Amino acid sequence: MSSTAAPISPVRPGGPVIAHSERQARKARRERAKRWTKTVVMTVLTLLILAPIFMILMLSVRSGQTAAGTYTWSFDNFTEIFTRTPVFTYLRNSLVVTLGTTVFAVIIGALAGYPMSRLRGRFIRGYTLSLFVVQSLPVIIVVIPLFVVFATLGLADTLSGVAIIFIAGSMAVTCWMMAGYYDSIPIELEEAAWVDGATIWGGFVRVVLRNSYPGILSAAIFSFLVAWNDYLVATVFLRTQSNYTLPIGLQSFFQQNATDWGPVMAMSVIMLLPPVIVFAVLNRFFSIGGIGGAIK
Amino acid sequence: MSDVMTSGEPTTKKAKRPGGRERNPEALHPGRKKTMAAMLLPSIILLIALNAYPLFYAVGQSVRDGGITGPGEFVGLENYRTALQDPAFWEAARFTLLFTVVSVFVAWVIGMGFALVLRRAFPGKSVFKVLLLLPWVVPVVVSTTSWNFMVATPSSPIPTLLRALGFGDVQILANAGTAMAIVIIFKIWGTFPFMMMMMNSALQAVDPSVEEASRLDGASRWQRVRHVILPIISKPIYIAWVLASIFTINDFPSVFLLTGGGPVNSTSTLVVFAYRLVFQDFRTGYGVAVAFLITAVLIAISIYFFRRINRAPMAN
Repeated sequence: MSSTAAPISPVRPGGPVIAHSERQARKARRERAKRWTKTVVMTVLTLLILAPIFMILMLSVRSGQTAAGTYTWSFDNFTEIFTRTPVFTYLRNSLVVTLGTTVFAVIIGALAGYPMSRLRGRFIRGYTLSLFVVQSLPVIIVVIPLFVVFATLGLADTLSGVAIIFIAGSMAVTCWMMAGYYDSIPIELEEAAWVDGATIWGGFVRVVLRNSYPGILSAAIFSFLVAWNDYLVATVFLRTQSNYTLPIGLQSFFQQNATDWGPVMAMSVIMLLPPVIVFAVLNRFFSIGGIGGAIK
Repeated sequence: MSDVMTSGEPTTKKAKRPGGRERNPEALHPGRKKTMAAMLLPSIILLIALNAYPLFYAVGQSVRDGGITGPGEFVGLENYRTALQDPAFWEAARFTLLFTVVSVFVAWVIGMGFALVLRRAFPGKSVFKVLLLLPWVVPVVVSTTSWNFMVATPSSPIPTLLRALGFGDVQILANAGTAMAIVIIFKIWGTFPFMMMMMNSALQAVDPSVEEASRLDGASRWQRVRHVILPIISKPIYIAWVLASIFTINDFPSVFLLTGGGPVNSTSTLVVFAYRLVFQDFRTGYGVAVAFLITAVLIAISIYFFRRINRAPMAN
């Protein structure tokens, strides 16, 4: 109260104002100290939590022990895996599968999300719910029947077969994410377009989709992570080494070289870099809060 | 597809939330349901071909004694009875329960704590926000590799540390108790960032004036969190719990790549148990039946939480 009254008070000029500003300065100093304490505590906690990840980076650039018992730092481990293992093939396979999954899962989610957001009624509610049920089934139930079907279709040991399963597996979440994002776009915008003669499709493309880039990016990041990180589907479906994705390649390399940590960690670094880079660059667009909104 | 057309409800029905759901576009755009149906079509086709069909196929497998040699004979519910009488099934069920309840709850507490801390500005806040998501972003195959490095052999960092602290020689992965602990700690490590994200977006919906009012009423920081903030965001909390429980119960690679379910099945979850039945013992029918029992549990959990979600107050 006195903060606004004191300077203009004609009765008690001077003294109280100075005392007040000193108090304020002390308070500001205390606040600043408190904020920096927070930073220090958080730094310690974060370093502890990320220790397993630092370990990977550190071991990947550490080379064999010297006679003196010390280690040298080099990229030898990387040269070794690039020359001795088909890591480029794994990387290429992972990229192909992941990009294919991301593109299709986002397109399907962007399309289905629109009716899920704008239509009301039992059918659409039931559909949203069945997407949820399917999403929560143990993958192992569908893996065996799909393997049988894909074997007869010639898709069993192929990258496109695996990508199709990832698309179906991440589709439920991309649909919810897109529906949740469309919910935040006022329908008045489309109505204005309809009044101007736009079709439903025209309004969707020109008005809704154009305002949904953050939602599209969220859905893309999600399906990217699903496809890049999956282990179970790839391990069941991909049998020949030239078709291995990075998780399978890394795992089989790890099993053959269990004690030779340097090259194993170098391959781990190659596998963790793409999702980490994607997240570091795009994380401010990523929001999974929207998942919750679609479940009602 | 004509179902879609008859399902549009009157526009007078009040929407729960502001935004697009308030009005039905059909009111303004009669006869355009075909567009909407066409937009749903790709996802419906995928849902039927890659989920519904395999599901029915799997129901058939679960009532046969199929294996590597063929689809097998019809045995009715025999596989389910075998599961419910199998001590290994119940051991896996017990560990799955422990694994899920402990890791989901502890991950939530940690994630909630970080979300609360990261609400206010302090130097480096946005950097921490990204860095703390890394355990969730890093592929499980990679993180299990590095956790293996940290615990697997007596000369690994954690056993070395434990020796230095006077705990003697601890064979972390060879001992049932420590193996269970490390699997659960690993899962907490991988799940708390998800909780942090969910709680972070939930907290954004909390009106600062509500909190300010309780502060002026003399509520302590703990009281404000416990009695003001948590009740407001109870709905997103239940959603985060149910999603994390489903992810955890279905989690295959964390357990399989860290311990392989051992030592002596002590860390085998139901999903790992089902995987081994199918792909290592080639008892397809039995394995799929176990997977359906997992599904039954997942559905029960979902129904329980959805009841609570619907009773919970809405965050604005």
